[in-house]
Amino acid sequence: MVIYVFDGSFEGFLTAIYESYYNKEKPDKIVAMDDYVENLIDRPIFIETDEIKSDKVYAGIKNKISTNALKKVYHVFLSEVMEAPTVIYHYLRLGFKIGNKVDLNLMDDWVLRMDKINQQVASEKHRMLGLLRFQLVENDLYYAPLAPDHNIIALMANHFAQRMSDQKWMIHDTKRCIAVVYDLKEWIITPIDLPAPPVGKEEYLYQQLWKEYYQSIAIKERRNPRLQKRCMPVRYWSFLTEKK
Amino acid sequence: MDILDKLKILADAAKYDVSCSSSGSERKNKAGGIGNAAVSGICHSWSDDGRCISLLKILMTNYCVYDCAYCVNRVSNSIPRAAFTPKEIAELTINFYRRNYIEGLFLSAAIMKNPNHTMELLLKTVTLLRENYNFNGYIHVKAIPGADGRLIEATGEVVDRMSVNIELPSDEGLKLLAPEKKKEALIKPMGLIDRQIIQRKEERRIFRNAPSFVPAGQSTQLIVGATQDHDYRILKLSEGLYNRFHLKRVYYSAYVPIVNHPNLPSITNPPTLREHRLYQADWLLRFYGFDADELLDEAQPNFDQLLDPKCDWALRNMKLFPVEVNKAEYETLLRVPGIGVKSALRIITARKMAPITYDGLKKIGVVLKRAKYFITCQGKYYSDVGFREKLIRLSLTEKPLKEPTETNEIQLSFLTMPAIRENVNSIITGEL
Repeated sequence: MVIYVFDGSFEGFLTAIYESYYNKEKPDKIVAMDDYVENLIDRPIFIETDEIKSDKVYAGIKNKISTNALKKVYHVFLSEVMEAPTVIYHYLRLGFKIGNKVDLNLMDDWVLRMDKINQQVASEKHRMLGLLRFQLVENDLYYAPLAPDHNIIALMANHFAQRMSDQKWMIHDTKRCIAVVYDLKEWIITPIDLPAPPVGKEEYLYQQLWKEYYQSIAIKERRNPRLQKRCMPVRYWSFLTEKK
Repeated sequence: MDILDKLKILADAAKYDVSCSSSGSERKNKAGGIGNAAVSGICHSWSDDGRCISLLKILMTNYCVYDCAYCVNRVSNSIPRAAFTPKEIAELTINFYRRNYIEGLFLSAAIMKNPNHTMELLLKTVTLLRENYNFNGYIHVKAIPGADGRLIEATGEVVDRMSVNIELPSDEGLKLLAPEKKKEALIKPMGLIDRQIIQRKEERRIFRNAPSFVPAGQSTQLIVGATQDHDYRILKLSEGLYNRFHLKRVYYSAYVPIVNHPNLPSITNPPTLREHRLYQADWLLRFYGFDADELLDEAQPNFDQLLDPKCDWALRNMKLFPVEVNKAEYETLLRVPGIGVKSALRIITARKMAPITYDGLKKIGVVLKRAKYFITCQGKYYSDVGFREKLIRLSLTEKPLKEPTETNEIQLSFLTMPAIRENVNSIITGEL
């Protein structure tokens, strides 16, 4: 099998798509460097990230297929599911052939697979908009750690930049060691490696109040832990103030 | 009394209010302000009963002059009482909001002194939040029946949603359990809010900057199982409220036996299955084009325990089935048991490209457990029992479709859905 290996960046991936159209050897799979395991049967082709090529593909998806498709491609890419680059590749092949009608092809396995991953990313993002918990730490900074399944913090940033526009905040993906930082004007995404900062006395009071509220609002006669866990999977609990 | 004790008492007193939705409003943040509303609504946590927590749901006070038999806060009940000041509520809301615990505030109150005094307190609190704290998040406030129309109107201008609880499905029920409340007094503020919403919408069409009025609409809640009223009566009431007052939601709350009173039924568990059936039927009214009279009548005034309302309706109308999925209109597809808004839309999309096969249906995610008895695919009928009402009924009910605990879950999950949004598809599927 021919395998395209790219550096893991979105630009690198788009370059791989570009190459797949101009290289005689078509890929059976596209994988990120970190997911690539060398073996005797597969033949890897290492893709060198090229901004001009990736820009062309970016514009191509937008103009020849649709903005919606571009958004979908980006979301599925951020899923960090191992097969995602390959799924997107097949989806784009079809997309460049038939244009903006590609999303109507619900019977096509790749389109369907694309939809499914996209859905997973979108729903985790939506869920985390609610489950994220800020703590007030030193320097008036509101700090929120999380470890999502997919790489979603960039997708969450605008929401909080609009909503919490008058407070400094940081969303820290502890799994990927990256953070979105907002300084009252704009947000940036940056690699980061730091332990959770300590909290002050005021913060402790509001955490107490929130825990108390959380206990009081439940109706004992209707206890339903299964439903609770389905809506709010246990893997997120370690970051939730009320579940600590 | 310190703030922690107050919160304990006044959150506990508010927990029987069902509504948790924070959707339907597009309020934007202002420069230097905090908060905005997300049109889809956002759930921030789920409590131990599985209901979602979206808003800080508290009472301003639980001091009450009324004596409604079903209510924990009734004057004759000896429980600890407390009252928040507007400032305490504002501080709590803002600080919870900054930590992303909540989507906004749901403020209600027992009747302290008289309706006008109570409504004034509520208005003062929400105005403080909006003006002094520059808070632009979601606010849901109770309209207090009997309060002056001008107070209700002024409140409507600053909040996102208002609700008046209808409490019990019938006048007789009210007389028996809440003698101080009259149905007309409950209906009156609903009419007022509805007229204002319509008028302000009209004004905003002409002047873009005209003030909004309860942009997320109004809702209500009623208790199921505390009186003798049957499902048909309740459903007709809901239908009337949707048609007459354009309510966004009617919430049903299974009666939780919290107090003993000679006029109240003695039950051990809340009737959650009944509540679940009512929610299913409510969805059929709002999104599936059904009328209450199609689902129930005087001869059969209560929902079947074993079958959901749509299955039950389909089995009584076998002449309309089976329908061909490749030809049926959207409205017809919606009436097939097991096919919801999302599936119907997917079928319509998929068949534009190529005819749908039975396996194709599965592939695009249509659940065929119930649907298979009522459809044909490219002319072929796929169920293994034959198209006979008795046989289908048997196979749909022989293994009870839902164990009681499971039903409980499904029913509760309706409550947890982001509730109302103009885009029907996303409300039902809960997707964005």
